[in-house]
Order: sequence, then C-alpha cells, then structure tokens
Amino acid sequence: MTPLVITLLKLGGSILAILFLAWLARSLGLGGDVRIRSDEQARAIADEIISGFDPVGIAIDRAGMGALMRDAQGRHLLIRRHGAHFAGRLLDNHSETRLDQNFLTVGTGERTFGRVTLNLGKEAQYWASGLRHLNT
Amino acid sequence: MGIGLKASEYMSETLFNPVDYAVPAFILLIILEMLWVRHYAPEKYEPRDTLTSLALGTGSTVAGALFGGTMLAIAMWGYDYRITTIPWTWWAWIACFVLDDFFYYVFHRSAHRVRWFWAAHVNHHSSQHYNLSTALRQTWTGFFAFTFLFRLPLVFIGFDPAMILFVGAINLIYQFWIHTEAINKFPRWFEYIMNTPSHHRVHHATNPRYLDRNYAGVFIIWDRMFGTFTEEIEDEKIRYGIVRQLGTFNLLWSVFHEWAGIARDIWSAPWKHKLSYAWRPPGWSHDGSRDTSDMIRQRWLDRQHEQPAE
Repeated sequence: MTPLVITLLKLGGSILAILFLAWLARSLGLGGDVRIRSDEQARAIADEIISGFDPVGIAIDRAGMGALMRDAQGRHLLIRRHGAHFAGRLLDNHSETRLDQNFLTVGTGERTFGRVTLNLGKEAQYWASGLRHLNT
Repeated sequence: MGIGLKASEYMSETLFNPVDYAVPAFILLIILEMLWVRHYAPEKYEPRDTLTSLALGTGSTVAGALFGGTMLAIAMWGYDYRITTIPWTWWAWIACFVLDDFFYYVFHRSAHRVRWFWAAHVNHHSSQHYNLSTALRQTWTGFFAFTFLFRLPLVFIGFDPAMILFVGAINLIYQFWIHTEAINKFPRWFEYIMNTPSHHRVHHATNPRYLDRNYAGVFIIWDRMFGTFTEEIEDEKIRYGIVRQLGTFNLLWSVFHEWAGIARDIWSAPWKHKLSYAWRPPGWSHDGSRDTSDMIRQRWLDRQHEQPAE
C-alpha cells in the first residue's frame, strides 16, 4: 500500500473512532441536565463569566435555561446554557430585544452565540425596558 | 505540534512514529474515563463537546499531512547549517528530549502571550470541559502561526530532525494523560518535577489566579524556574475554557474564531495600532475596552485586598 492509502485508511479509522466515542458519550447519558436554580447559583455563574460581576438584579428563566443580570454600573449580562455549562455575553447597544408577553428574546449580535429566549414571567416587561435603555 | 504525512514518512524511514501506536490507548482511556464519570459526574463529558474535540484532533492530523512536508523541508534546510552533529547515542536522546521540552515551554508561553500564536492554540483551550478528549483538541492552523519555528534551535544545534520529531511525539503522548480530573495529586517529588493533571488543570483554568500559568509540557521545572508556576488550590472550583467562552460547538468557528477576530480588529483599528492586534497579548485593545489576562488577575487581586479581614 502506498503511504497515501495508509494515511487515508488512518483518517477513515479516526473518523469512525470519533463517531463511536461521541455515540458512546450520548448513549451513556453523559452531559447531564444543568439548570440555574437559584440567585446564588446565577451569581456564581456570572462571576465565572465576568470576573467580579456583582449583580444587583437577577431574572432567571422559569426553566432555568438562562438568566439576565444587571450590576450597579448598569451593565447587563445574559447567560444561557451551553451543553453542560453556561456561557454569557455582556449586552450593549447592538443587542436586539423582543418582548412577547412573558417571553423576552435577546440577541447578542453574535451569530454563533445566537438569540436567547427567556421566560421571565411578569418581570419580562421590566427587563425589556432596561435593555431598551441600552439601545438609546 | 503537527506531525504530518511527509514528516511521518521521514521518521518511519529512520524510526517508528510512536503516536500511531498510542492512538488505540488514547481511545481506550477515553472510554474508561467516560465509564468512570458516568456514575461519578456525568456532566464531566458532553457528547457534542467530545465530538468537536475529537474532530479537531483528526483535522489537525490532516493539517499536519498538508503542511508537514514544508515544515520538514525547513527543518532539513536548517540541519544543513547546524553548528555540530549530535550523534545517535543514549545521552543525545535524553538531551534532545529535555531541550525539546524546554523549547516547547517557550513555544507554549508565546502561544498564550502573543495573539497571533494564540489564534492557533486557542482551540486547545476552548472547551469548557477538562477530560481526556480535551487533550486531542489540537490546532489546524499551527503552520500559519509558525509554531514549528520554535523547534528550529534544536536543528541548528545539530540534532537530527528525525530524533526531534520522535521526542516531540513522545512529548505529545505524555501530555495526553494529564488532561483529566480523575487523578488528584501524585507524591510531592513527582509533582515537583513532572507536569501532572493537577498542574495542567491550573493551565486550562480561567479562574483569575490561574490565568496564563503552568506552560510546561513534560517537566514543570521550567515554570518553577521562570516564575510562571502556580499550585492548584484544593478548595477553589476550577472553571475551564477561555475567558470569553465560545458558546457554540461549531467546529469551524472553534478553529477560526480568533483568526477572524484578528482580521476584524486589524481592519477596524487605526493604522498605528493595526499590528498590535496581532502581536500583543490576547485581550489587548488600543482603547482599553477589553481585558488581558494580566488586567483580569490584577483586578481580582485588588478585590481580594479590598475585602475586610474576618
């Protein structure tokens, strides 16, 4: 066999191996179901995302999939679940917001991060108003 | 580190490629670690993250095949200008391994402190998980970041490129098993000399106290010698990844996001600052609107000092 054929065989084997491992991880139920269940947890996540971010206002999605937070300087932090962890972005005047009753959809302007829809109950309107101030 | 087709061929003419023999062990150990976390902490693995990490690893071997020939040609050119010829003796292997590990430290430190190099290295760090699959999260763009240049001093000294490739492969294999939370700490003498899971967890952490520390490959002594060592603290939860987490498992974005960021910043920056966005540390900005690791750590230290003593 030529070196090229050997290399292609190795590549094919590698692809099969990674698909098998990803399937195994899924079939073993790895990854878990992480949710934000308390203000304290939301604070800890915020500090992980922006070191020193100290929220004075917190709104957690009813299903615990994400949260919106505001600190004393008026900065707004959006966090959402990413796999078995959380990721977040500070919102700025490029952020889009859309309110639909209890649901607030927030876009970061970053396509790969995507838009996040949070069920904030009656608080949704209050937070939508706060975010609109960022856009003015 | 990329060991490509041509480089592999060259090495196999002289020696065997140890990575080929290590891959089955890598797969087996990943399976064992998955079975271990299944009951202990299933969130330690995430199927989509694992798939991205392993795809990055496979892609890096393709990149190595594409660019390995050029890298080998540069190494052979350098070997023509060597200052001496190191013989194939037992002490030469030891010297080559130790020196290669030193130059790996230099490369790795640069890869975290110069954004151009970081752009190639960042995908090794962009997982928020720390498990054996993270180890295989290797770069596709190392060639464009000139990472191979860091090994050229060994060629100029007079080590045969095949020997350098071989010890580099051993170095790579060593670094696989330290990407785990399954092992706590080893006896003190071992932790003092060798890079271990504990030391490398610090390296992958984004906690301010741990940012840009523990660059070692095999021997942690380089970090101790050059002031970049930090011990893992038992009672602080480590969070892994990068300061600005990607928030996506998109493979291509994982590979190219920092390159795209450099291009965007160079395009929009004032002329006198354009190049700074390539060679200054990640997070640097000409208007101070972003944070480097040093800035994040300093603010964290300031907050620690502000807190009243209990």
